[in-house]
Amino acid sequence: MRLCLHKLTFGAPSIVTGPSGTRTEHSFIPDAVDDPAPGHYSKRSSWRRRLRMGETMHKADWRARVWRGVAVLVLLVGVLLAAGLCVADTPHDSPVSGAANSTLSDQAFWSRFQFGFTLVYHYLFPQLTMGLGWFLVYWKWRALKTGDEKYNQAVRFWAKIFGLNFAVGVVTGIPMEFQFGTNWAGFSRYAGGVIGQTLAMEGMFAFFLESAFVGALIWGEKQLGPRYHFVAAVGVALGSWLSGFFILVTNAFMQHPVGYQVDSDGLLGIASLRAYLLNPWAWVQFAHNQMAALVTGSFVITAVGAFYTLRRLHPTQAQLYLRAGTLVGLIASLLVAFPTGDQQAKMVGHHQPVTLAAMEGKFVGGPRAGVALIGQPNVEARRLDNPIEVPGALSYLAYGTFQSYVHGLEEYPESAWPDNIELLYYSFHLMITLGTMFILLMAYATFQNWRGRLESSSWLLWKLMLAFPLPYIANTVGWMTAELGRQPWLIYGIFHTRDGYSKVVTSGDTIFTLIGFVGLYFVLGLLFLYLVAREIGHGPEEELILNPGADRGEMVVRPTEEHFA
Amino acid sequence: MIAVWYVIVSLTLIIYVVLDGRNFGAGMLQWLVARTPEERRQVVAAIGPLWTWHEVWLLGFGGTLLAVFPRLMASAFAGYYLALFLISWGLILRGISIEVGGSINDRLWQGFWDFVFAFSNFLLAILFGAAAGNVARGVPVDADGNFSMAFFTNFGVRGHVGLLDWYTISIAIFAVSILAAHGATYLTLKTEGPVRYRSWKCAKYLWAAIVPLFIAVSVESWMVRPDVPRHAIHNPFCWLGLLMIIVASCTLILGLRLRVEEWAFLGSNFLLVGLLATGGAAIFPVMLHSTLAPENSLTAYAVAAGRNSLLLASIWWPVGFALATAYFVFISRRFAGKVSVEQDT
Repeated sequence: MRLCLHKLTFGAPSIVTGPSGTRTEHSFIPDAVDDPAPGHYSKRSSWRRRLRMGETMHKADWRARVWRGVAVLVLLVGVLLAAGLCVADTPHDSPVSGAANSTLSDQAFWSRFQFGFTLVYHYLFPQLTMGLGWFLVYWKWRALKTGDEKYNQAVRFWAKIFGLNFAVGVVTGIPMEFQFGTNWAGFSRYAGGVIGQTLAMEGMFAFFLESAFVGALIWGEKQLGPRYHFVAAVGVALGSWLSGFFILVTNAFMQHPVGYQVDSDGLLGIASLRAYLLNPWAWVQFAHNQMAALVTGSFVITAVGAFYTLRRLHPTQAQLYLRAGTLVGLIASLLVAFPTGDQQAKMVGHHQPVTLAAMEGKFVGGPRAGVALIGQPNVEARRLDNPIEVPGALSYLAYGTFQSYVHGLEEYPESAWPDNIELLYYSFHLMITLGTMFILLMAYATFQNWRGRLESSSWLLWKLMLAFPLPYIANTVGWMTAELGRQPWLIYGIFHTRDGYSKVVTSGDTIFTLIGFVGLYFVLGLLFLYLVAREIGHGPEEELILNPGADRGEMVVRPTEEHFA
Repeated sequence: MIAVWYVIVSLTLIIYVVLDGRNFGAGMLQWLVARTPEERRQVVAAIGPLWTWHEVWLLGFGGTLLAVFPRLMASAFAGYYLALFLISWGLILRGISIEVGGSINDRLWQGFWDFVFAFSNFLLAILFGAAAGNVARGVPVDADGNFSMAFFTNFGVRGHVGLLDWYTISIAIFAVSILAAHGATYLTLKTEGPVRYRSWKCAKYLWAAIVPLFIAVSVESWMVRPDVPRHAIHNPFCWLGLLMIIVASCTLILGLRLRVEEWAFLGSNFLLVGLLATGGAAIFPVMLHSTLAPENSLTAYAVAAGRNSLLLASIWWPVGFALATAYFVFISRRFAGKVSVEQDT
């Protein structure tokens, strides 16, 4: 094969290295069988044809193929038979009864676990697209205003990363919508008339916008021209935020139901679309969540900037990323905490006091309630183990004065408690800790940037480069706080989680599909990381490959002895 | 009101099938019409940057179904549990193979993802075909409006049926063939060079094969659900759908004969619309027929959301629809034209 190629190259090097040279490779194509018998070299046959025959000479032996096929069939039948024997051999009066493993047969638990797992995984991708969207708009706008090519380069580079995230977000989002029907049929039947409205709006108003323009943003710079390319960036950013809004309205209804009515058949319907969409909980949560998405976006951009600076690569682009990333990161980290996070906590304290008590591990209520910096909830003993508290902080944060009374868990029946207080407590405190760290890190980075010392401080750049996973963790535990805190309700105060799952689906079905998702998402995650790492490795300054075959390692003609002969 | 929403929900599903159907078809035929890695990338490029836009119609359908017919979504999705997860895994595989296949210029990498692409599209076409067969045949809905189904039981079409039986399998085969023909027609329009020539040949043979398959499937449908045609002849929408099938077939045949690929593709689109619309109109108002007892069947009137919810949805839905169409027109005008081997995605 190699010999053949080299001979050919020697004769006509331009063909191999040029665009059409990409055809001179191996092909497992069916039409190779149509070739004349091996060894039949007619004068008319082209170099391409000869080359192909040279490769497929050994493969053309159809008898070997048939035998291979038969062998595979026999093997398959054998495996099936063996499997059948194994199943038939299992004694039916096995003393171990399935009922003993109660967790495995708990359909409600597995439905929750599957929804939680697929949702947490799914949300890793939209949080970055929502965070990146406005960076793209800003850079595209700067490019339009100043005509500076570095902004266009930044948009091109980040649009590719955006596109990868968007595609994974779409394909992992479809199972989310399916699960409303497949695993949560009770909930869909009861509340579909309300939550379906926003889920449908998300499709009609947000996804169509985002998906129509995302391809144009990545591939259509030439076809669209600079002005429409800017419009595409705005469309994509707007679409991603709109979709976040509709999902948060849906979630806010589950946290704090408003605007609904109970129809004559006992199921929920919309009473006022205005009240439903203007749910105060939705707006506070939306603001908090979008700021958190901006934190993710700015941390990722900063990390890439820090990486390039440390590697002494793409200095112009790296500086652009570091400046924009640290500044937006600081502003967004501050806004996540105050006022949005603060308002969110007040909302929880007002509408879900038992959730607030569980989040803080407060078993006994009282005034001057403190915020625990360290401590583990001990539910059995009904106390916080080894607490170190800031006295009065919780009273002040939740209700505005240090004297305010904060309810304790013991004031409520245990059936009203969130069903996993430890997990809720850890999630909430991890979120708070990370949020504080973000502010400190980004404030210091912005300060150093202002002094002009950011690029030279490799100690800080290392921190910034390695910090990008933290906002993902913070977003995840934040959502865990919201959803675990809502328990045992599916719709707070009116519908229990245990009534929501599909009664006709068995736990085995759900475990089976869950395992499928775990496997598929693992592979998907590896692929995603590999491709993103590859894009980052190529860097923003890479020119578009005009020749699709150019970077094919095997096509590069290396000088060998033959050439010199 | 409820009838109007039935039409809208059917319309979103029909748009999804017509738009993504061509991607399924093109994907299935990828290894038949394209023989080099470059040509296979050409097929993927023909699907183009709008495949997520096509897939969003499925999400639009799911969301609207949940908003308007929540009880149907609850029963049907839980009942089709495993089949739906196979579909979502197929959609995940298909999406990844489009996105990552072209990103690395390596023979093995592209070959692998091209295989995944073709396989997942084929799987999706079979599953959607079988799903359509299940809706036509009916499922074992009990008195509470619930059902759960095995993949197959005794391959019969009465009583406790499974997802697959002789009828749903033949509908699946029909769906695979017609989507393949649809995809081939689309590729003829969208590609050039050898791919276009092979797609053209494929389209001609496949459309010829559709004729006997269609007759067979019609007879089978009549045998499985003899009650449907008796209602359907009184429904003007069925006659409208039938008219559309006839007109679309004529356009398609003319397009194929006269080698006008735009006509052929137009005919193929409207043929699919006509078939699905006729089917949808024929079964109305029953959305999910019960094979156990006809009185268990879920009708559109029984599963619809409250009147107020429907009214409010009819205010914003048309706005969303108009906007979605506007984006599509804008983008597809910019990306119109043929995809050649040299033009990489």
